[in-house]
This record gives sequence, structure tokens and C-alpha cells, in this order.
Amino acid sequence: MSRPKVPGVLVALVLAAVLPWSLGAAVLSDKNALLCSAACATAIAAISLNMLMGYAGQISLGQFAFVGVGAFTTGVVTSVDQLRLPWVVGLAAAAVVGAAIAFLVGLPALRLRGLYLAVVTVSVAYVGWQSVFRVEWIGGGSAGKVTPRPYIGDSPISSDTGFLTIAAVLLVLVWQVDVNLTRSRLGRAFQAIRADDQVAASFGIDVVRYKLLAFTISGAIAGIAGSIIGTAFGTVTAGTFDYARSLLLVVIVVIGGLGSRWGVVTAAIFATLLPDLLVALFGAGIRGLDLVINAALLMYTLAQHPGGFAGAVEEAREKRKRRKGGEPPLPPTRPNLPALTRPVGMPPVPKLRARTAVLKATDVSVRFGGLQAVDSASLHVDRGTIVGLMGPNGAGKTTMFNAITGALTPDTGRIELLGVDVSHLPTHRRTALGMSRTFQLIGLAKNQSVYENLLIAQHLAAPYGVLSALTMVGPSRFYERDVRTRADEVLAGLGFGRYRDAQVGRLSHGQQRIVEIGCALVTSPELVMLDEPSAGMSPAAAEDLAATLRDVRDRLGRTVLLIEHNVPLVLDVADELYVMDAGKVIADGEPVEVVGRPEVVTAYLGVAPQKQEVNA
Amino acid sequence: MGQVVVLGLISGGIYALFALGVVMVHRGTGVLTFANGEVGTAGLFLAALLVDGWEIPLPFMDNPTLPALPWPVGALAAVLFAAGLGCLFELLVVRRMGVSDPVAVAVATVGLALFLLAGEFQLFGESPKELAAPVDGTVEIAGVLVTPTQIAGLVLAIALGFGLQAVLRRTDFGLGILAAAQDPSAVRLVGVPLSRISLTVWGAGAALAAIASLLVEPTVGVFGPGYASELYVVGLAAAVVGGLNSLPGAVVGGVTLGIAESAATRYLSGIGLSGLRYVVVLVVLLAVLIGRQTIPDLLKRLDEQTGRPAEARA
Repeated sequence: MSRPKVPGVLVALVLAAVLPWSLGAAVLSDKNALLCSAACATAIAAISLNMLMGYAGQISLGQFAFVGVGAFTTGVVTSVDQLRLPWVVGLAAAAVVGAAIAFLVGLPALRLRGLYLAVVTVSVAYVGWQSVFRVEWIGGGSAGKVTPRPYIGDSPISSDTGFLTIAAVLLVLVWQVDVNLTRSRLGRAFQAIRADDQVAASFGIDVVRYKLLAFTISGAIAGIAGSIIGTAFGTVTAGTFDYARSLLLVVIVVIGGLGSRWGVVTAAIFATLLPDLLVALFGAGIRGLDLVINAALLMYTLAQHPGGFAGAVEEAREKRKRRKGGEPPLPPTRPNLPALTRPVGMPPVPKLRARTAVLKATDVSVRFGGLQAVDSASLHVDRGTIVGLMGPNGAGKTTMFNAITGALTPDTGRIELLGVDVSHLPTHRRTALGMSRTFQLIGLAKNQSVYENLLIAQHLAAPYGVLSALTMVGPSRFYERDVRTRADEVLAGLGFGRYRDAQVGRLSHGQQRIVEIGCALVTSPELVMLDEPSAGMSPAAAEDLAATLRDVRDRLGRTVLLIEHNVPLVLDVADELYVMDAGKVIADGEPVEVVGRPEVVTAYLGVAPQKQEVNA
Repeated sequence: MGQVVVLGLISGGIYALFALGVVMVHRGTGVLTFANGEVGTAGLFLAALLVDGWEIPLPFMDNPTLPALPWPVGALAAVLFAAGLGCLFELLVVRRMGVSDPVAVAVATVGLALFLLAGEFQLFGESPKELAAPVDGTVEIAGVLVTPTQIAGLVLAIALGFGLQAVLRRTDFGLGILAAAQDPSAVRLVGVPLSRISLTVWGAGAALAAIASLLVEPTVGVFGPGYASELYVVGLAAAVVGGLNSLPGAVVGGVTLGIAESAATRYLSGIGLSGLRYVVVLVVLLAVLIGRQTIPDLLKRLDEQTGRPAEARA
């Protein structure tokens, strides 16, 4: 169930508020309390970077610039010679300004591949550290920015133990927001984008919006971390937020384990306490060695345990489980799909008469440089039919698919989906109309579980807002229950119940295919487009696939467009067959008749046959 | 105006040298390295050690003192040391990561950068170190006093940027370096081992960074931990502006950023913003990346407009 563990949060909040006071000065000196506040802030910053890198797969080598933005914003808002507003306002402003700046940095990220984004964020780190934070009214010049502690009534919280309470409570809250995020459509959209932009869009995820959201939310959280650092130390300079800090934060999240909340928080706390721990153990001469150790650990982690600390723990746990239980039995090969209705969260599919066109592609042309990949091809797919699309390698079948789904924009041509002209709509809007697809190379988030993938696929079935997602209050709870029930139904129908929590990447290729088809069907779209579903399947599994496809058509009443090389399979299930060669549709009609035509045989075999008696 | 250009060319040459190393690694492996700046600084520390006859500050031991060596010996040692660091990183980290995501390798280089930076702080502390210039004297060009090392930097950058490609094309191995990231299987098929290419470009990129660091250091005469990293960022940007795969592009990108920086310093210093270098870098980077107009793109457009086929230039 998606219900957030409210009692758990409350316990953590009470502990965070009470523990610092109850420990007493003997255990928790003021110096140590300050250190713990810094650890909380670093943990929050690590959560913010993990959100970008671990969840959404967007690299940021300048995250501490956003932390600095938060610190100085709080300073400007609360400082006695500037705005003199209450500290809470300063904290909120830090989050807002951090979010705004991160949004701006995220804008170019929409068009940049990973490595370019890394270069841009490095320069952002330098601009913050060397330029912006050195402006007198922002960073306070060489003397630094003085940020007053928050007030309770008329007296400031001057003790470091008192401030630690605030830092710890904020860490618990941010932790919970992060938990909510990962359990919501937001976190799932990030995961899908991390796997592949096109796959995400085919699940109806607006890639532009969610990439920007990842940056914005991450920036807000980084801003909160900065606000804590600035207030805890009272005075910070530009140098507090230098480039090396950003690098250290990257080191922390990778060592902790990208994508693992508790992993990165543990690593952040460890990295903050390590310097003093080393000094306590080996004397003051050792100061600074912690960075050397951390950096070496990072390189070791990447070379030996890419999953980080959390990944290593997970592996050990699985090994133990495997020794105890042994491998689970194989699932039944023949799925029995449940008759799914259109999810409540999705707009209803427009009413169509039987045998009207679900898809009409007219004169579509796509050119890649000197190659005419698709040459004024037209397709017509009637409702409740299975239509095959064949052709030799390089004929332009997948390119045609991409033009239909909107993964690429054709040079000419018109695409109509359920009677709506979608030629100028982005992929995710076409998906919302009632279309889904699979990919040649499996369009799933492979490092996520089967169950999680079925949830990702239901992005559009859970239409609640960002705020509801982050707080798990309001519509998100209702919709999450709905999509989870549906995922379980499909899981049972596929016979994959035992594989619910198995990582998709660890399943066999054929099994991944079944999961992918399940994902394509889970929102009950009108048109299902499958790109070589039988590739990599055993002949027996391919036969089962034929049965499944017929099931989709006859029992669920859906329409299927199918790219397939497996001729017997196509002849078995297709009601109509199109054949493409060198970008052109060279034949269409009744499948058995079409594969016998001389131009089709020529396209496949390269020579004109003497007699057309090819009956596959 | 003349001053702006001369100053821009001087710093541009250094950025170009860093950028050439970036392009070498990217062409050979498809990866960007963020560590080479700090590798260059590490080289400077070694050079300073050897040239000044420093006591080696080893922990838990008596400090041995080395005899002072001439600058060229120190510089050579620095370049070899840097190349060794690059190769060692390739052998110990990159190679063990297998065929992985280039972004993951980039993150690993972040680890190397931080490792070296922290190590330098640990061994040498924060106070700046001096390394005297190899040759004294200056030449006045357009009212700017230019030192021989500065000229050497620019000349070397231009020579390497426009000559290296021609040299590399003469051998299969060199061609392999140029093609490795684009078509690794083709390179393997002609019998050039990719592992050797990878090792070579990591070593070469690091060596170039050390050369750039050695040639820029005399301009100020002092350096400390993080010194070359602050310049290397501009080199990274220059490589991106130059199209990331083109050696001449890297030189043009470096010089462009150098001139933009000196122009900004000359005309914008009135607004009271420090670190203008990085503001210029960020603005130019965003303009180039969002507009998708790197230098090779612009050249291609120019060729199309003048009616010459773009291939003729390659």
C-alpha cells in the first residue's frame, strides 16, 4: 500500500526534537552538536543530489552551488543590515531561490547529453564560488555573510544543541518528502527518464516537465541544506561553497549508492564526521586525509562495486536469501491477461464504430541525411484487428513506428490517431490519447522491479499534482491504490507473481518481453504497437505470444500493430499485412496472399523468383 | 583592442592545450575527464620539488633533501609523472569499470581530481609554492609584456592543434586513436587494440595538461592546490565549443574563450563582478550548446554557403 507510515515519521520527528536536548553536554558538546548540524545539512544536500543523479539520471557536478545559493539567500533575508525577516522566511526563500536557479540550470539540460551537462554544471559551480558569492551584498565580501539564528519569542536559539534540533527535524522532513517522491508518479517518472527519454515518453511521461521538476525540487532541497549550513555556522564565505565541496558531494552519493536514500544519507553523515574522527584517533596531523580516503573510496567503488555501499549490502542480502530459498520456479509461459478497463484517472478513449480507423498514417516521409528511411508510406489500421508490418532489415519499419509515436518528426505526412490529427503532438500526448508501444531493445526501466515497471507504465492513470505527490496527501493516495491494484492484477495475469520484486534486467529476454507487453497493455490503450515482440523468444514462447495477441484482440477488443520477422507468427495472427522495402510500402492486403507476391519475395530474397509458389 | 587580442591569445593558448587533452581522451574513449587540471597541478608540485631542491615532506620520517635540478629536467619529470598518473588511472580504474556509461567514468575522474587535490593539501599545505620561470626577459607586443613561456604555449597549441591530426593519420595506431570512440569495432578489426588506445590517450591527455600547467605557471609565478583545475574548466569548455572531437576546433575554442575573457576583463570589470572568466565560460557554453553551433558546425555552414562540400575540409 502507498500509505505513508505516518507513525514512523512522527517517531523520527520526536526523536530528532528530543534527542539533542536529552543527551546532555557530556555526550553532546556544543562543538559536536554543530558538527551534527553540518552532518544533517550534508545529508540533505546528498538527498538532493541523489534525486538528480540517482533517480533522474541527470549528472550535476555543481550541486554545492545550489547549497550556497540557499545559504546566502537565508543570509540576505534574515541579516540585520539587510531584510531582517524571520528565519522561517529565510528558510523558505532559500528553497524557492534554490529551486529557481536550479530550474534555470535545468533548462539547457533538456537538450544536453550527460557529459555536456557535467561541463555546464562544473561551470555553474565555478560561477557561484568565484563570481556570484563574491558579490558584496550576496556573500558579504571577505568578512563573509552573517546569518542570525532563528528566534523563539525574543531570544535567539544561540546554543548549537538547540539548532541541531531544527536541523534534525528538517532532515526527517526532507527524508519523508523523498520517500513520498519515490512512491509517487514523480519518482517513477524520474526512473523512466533515467532509463530512456523515449521509453518514458511512450509511457505518457512529459520528459521536459519531469526533467525540470527533478532540477527544481532538487534545487529547493539543496537550498534548505544551505540555509542550515549558513545558520549553523553563523558566518559563511564564498569559500565555504567551493568546487571541491561539489565534488565531495558527488563522491558521497556514489559511495553511498546512487538511488539509495539511506545509502547516501549514511555516507553523508559518515563523510562529515570522518575528519574529526580521524583527528580524534590519529592526532591533528591527519586533518585533511579524510578527503583523500573518500576520493580513493569513490574510485574503488566505481571500479569494483558500482552500486555503492547500499548496492553491496543489497547483494549480500540477496546472496543469503538465495542460499536459503533457491531459485523460484519459472512462470507459466502462457499469460492469461485480465480484462482491464480504462483506468479512472485517464480520459476515456473516444467512441469509435467498429472497423473505423484507429490509426491512419498518410504519406509519411523521413530522411536521415542522405538516406530516405521512409518514403511516402501510408498505413491504415482498423479497430479490433491485428495488422502486421514486415520488411527486410533497414526497410524503415521502426522509423515508421517512431514517426507514428512521435519519437521523431517526419519531414512530410499526417498521422491520425482515433480520428485526431496528432502530427504535431509530442509522444506523451499521443500516448494519452490511447496508444502504447514496445521497443526492439526492450523499453523498460531495467534496474527496477517488474512491479515498479508496471507502475511506471501507469503514469497517466495517476493524474495528481506535485504537491500531492510530495506530501502523499489528497488525490495521490486514491490513485496510488488504484494503480497498485491494477499492477497486481496484470502481474497475476502474466503469471509473474513470483517475479514481482525481481529486477527486470535479471529476467531472460523472453520474460522481459512479456513484462513489456504487460506494461503496454496495463492502461488499456486502444492501439498497441509491438516492435518485434518474438525476437529472442523460443518457438514455443512465440506460439504462446500468438495466443496472447489473439487474446488482446478478441477478448480485450484492442487493436494491434505488429512489426515482426517471424513469418509463421504473422500469418497466424494478422488480419492484414503491410510489407515495406527501402522506405516504401510495397504491398498490403490479406497476409497469405501478400507474402506470395513476387515483389515481396524479391524484397526478401533479392531475386525475382521463377514461380510464385512461396507459401510460408 | 590590440591588448585585448594579445592577452586573449596568451591565455587562449593555455586553454587550447588543456582542451587538446580533453579532445584526445574523448576521441579515443568517448569520455570526458574532469581530473586533468589537478593532474597538471600535481605535475607542477613535482617540478617545483625538483627545481628548488625541496625537502620531501614525508610523514613519519626524516625529510630527505634533493639537489636542485634545472627547470627543463623538472618540467620533463612533471610531464612524465602526469602521463604516468593518467595511465595509472586508466589501468586501475577505467579498465576495471568495463564497458560502462561514459558518465560513470566522468564521475570516477571527479574522484581522481579530489584525490589529488586533497593529497596536495595534505602534503604541501595551503600556502602558495613558487616555481621560477625557465627563461627571463619579456617582449612587448601591442603594449603587453609577453614572456617566452607564454609565446611557447600559444605556438605549441597551434602546432599540436593543426599538426597532430596529420601526424596521427600516418599510422594505423594514430588513425585508431582518431576513430576509436566513433567506431570501436572497426578499429579492433584493423588490428589496433582498444586497450592500448585508451592507455595512450589517458596518458597523452594528462601530459598535455602538465605541459599547459608548466607554461602558464610562470605568468604569475606561484601556485597552490587546485591551481590548474581552475584553468582546466575553461579548457573543458573550449573543447566543447570546438565540437569535442576536433583538435583544430579545440585550439579555436581555446583562443575564442581567451579573447572573450580578456575582452570581458577589459570592458566589464567596472560592474564589480569577480571571476569574470567563469561567467564568460558559462555564457559561451550555454550559447553554443543551446544554439547547437559548435565551431565545426559553423564551418560546415560556411562551407555550404560558399558552395564547397563540407567533406573537402575534413
